[in-house]
Amino acid sequence: MSRRRVAAIARRVMQQVRRDRRSLALLIIAPLAVLALLGFVIRDEKPIETRLGIVALGGPADTRVPQALSAAAAQAGITVVDVGTDAASGRAAVQDGRADVVIVAPAPFAGGSAAIQVITLGEAPADDGARLQVVAGLIERAVSQGAPLTIEHETIYGSPAGDVLNTFAPALIGFFGFFFVFVLTGISFLRERTGGTLERLLATPVRRSEIVVGYSLGFGFFATIQVVLILIFTLGVLTVPGIGPLASFNVGLGITSAGSPALAFVVLFLTAIGAVNLAIFLSTYARTELQVLEFIPIVIVPQALLGGVFWSVNSLPDPLGPIAGVLPMTHAIDGLRAVLVRGAGLSDGSLQLDIAYLVGIAILFVVLAGTTIRREIA
Amino acid sequence: MRPDELAIETRDLHKTFGEIHAVDGIDLSFHAGRIYGLLGPNGSGKTTLIRLMVGLAVATSGSVTVLGTPMPSRPLLARIGYMTQSDGLYSELSVWENLKFFAAMSGQRDDAVIAETLDVVELGDRRNTPILELSGGMRRRLSLACALVHRPAVVFLDEPTVGVDPVLRYQLWDHFRRLATAGTTLVVSSHVMDEGDRCDELVLIRAGRVLTTGSGVEIRQQAGTQDLESAFLKLSGVTTASHPQ
Repeated sequence: MSRRRVAAIARRVMQQVRRDRRSLALLIIAPLAVLALLGFVIRDEKPIETRLGIVALGGPADTRVPQALSAAAAQAGITVVDVGTDAASGRAAVQDGRADVVIVAPAPFAGGSAAIQVITLGEAPADDGARLQVVAGLIERAVSQGAPLTIEHETIYGSPAGDVLNTFAPALIGFFGFFFVFVLTGISFLRERTGGTLERLLATPVRRSEIVVGYSLGFGFFATIQVVLILIFTLGVLTVPGIGPLASFNVGLGITSAGSPALAFVVLFLTAIGAVNLAIFLSTYARTELQVLEFIPIVIVPQALLGGVFWSVNSLPDPLGPIAGVLPMTHAIDGLRAVLVRGAGLSDGSLQLDIAYLVGIAILFVVLAGTTIRREIA
Repeated sequence: MRPDELAIETRDLHKTFGEIHAVDGIDLSFHAGRIYGLLGPNGSGKTTLIRLMVGLAVATSGSVTVLGTPMPSRPLLARIGYMTQSDGLYSELSVWENLKFFAAMSGQRDDAVIAETLDVVELGDRRNTPILELSGGMRRRLSLACALVHRPAVVFLDEPTVGVDPVLRYQLWDHFRRLATAGTTLVVSSHVMDEGDRCDELVLIRAGRVLTTGSGVEIRQQAGTQDLESAFLKLSGVTTASHPQ
């Protein structure tokens, strides 16, 4: 392998990306902007507005439960609206928009065996879910007024009352470390194939391995910058003081890392290198830039769904669990969680496995990418 | 390489893509220091033949030998120049950066030689211009420079004069002649028959087969026509009102 040729290819890739301001912005600014937005949404999520209706099927003879629920709602600052005295009128109130959620208390309600019916609109599951949580809280409060029963939650790592972002951030940075590099490399290499430059390149004594390594180094350089910036943005926080009418605000998510940021960098860098070479490999199967983007629902979305970004890998049903186990994203997120949440070091067996897997995947994709660059392009 | 030494040889060369016979049994011998023209309509197999000679395509059967080496051969590519049909340039880079990059790929590290090549194609004053700001003709000239920068012994030029104005076309052919005089073997493909007379020898191709070979004069005499286009049509067996058989 000629180091001069590899260096020339890597330098050329860097020059190209540096001159292409939009691509540079996609690689550097976009992940930070999306992380900032997600951080803002997750951390500063406001409680959902809930207008509560209570239907007491027991009528005036049994007001104990409705009164307890009303009292609990008042304590929680939730508005209680009149929705009638039977389930049908409660349903109508939700349908008409007079109430967001209606609790139908059975008659007689003994407090243990009977079921409480809760009616929501069913239009937005996320809203319904949030409101059901509110109702569950009210019922718990109403039922336990005599002998308060509380659950004390303790966690080995982090704090149960801590910032949700602390546990969510590893998944986010793993995902973005993969996504943006994949898209940019895929489009860039497709241009190389369709623009005639790859053909010209292959008419020189360059080896396929030199092209792949040169590309990996060129995009690896920007992946490194991206990864460092993502980590700085995720772990750091800078308070910008208010000036005049502008209030002060924070830049960066400022999550707490239990482990070494350098180790998190290693995991994220390996993830990005895997993404670079997977993109080179898959660009063979695209004819246009649009077709590269069409790989997103095939390659990226399943990894986001199964890799632990949104749902726990452990809760996936049987056929999907083993699939998740072979996805690079699963190991990237698991590794980042190990470092950032558990504070795992290089002696940690699980982290060793994740790093070894990511190295293996990166090598596999390098080999696959190399096989797609043939001198014969039919 | 000595003049008239065998530079390129193909023997019973075939290349098929499924049912299509892009190259269908071609035997050719090209000698050093001469300009060979591959003439034929679009889709006749010129580009596939060139790609087989360069080693970018693998023959279905038959053989190609360039400078005594069976193709494909990666090391031999250092002695071959190839100007693709598309410009094949990096639009984000400048003229100099493109030329320097392809020079590095072919092992040419001498900046003086790179600058000299740029002067030959009259782009010396444009070295810092981004490709996006170049005219079509300038891009073709730079593309040619990329194929010549490592001073190859054999140069394949695939439709080098497409979209080029008459003045530039004249200059390019003038330069091709100078290269041939210096001992370089040039294989130039074109679908413009007028350019045939600028070559030392022509290969008329149709449907992947060689119709005939010879100089422009010889081919016109053989066909009994006034111009190469009529000769091509006659040798192809095409009958038209203006070119009766």
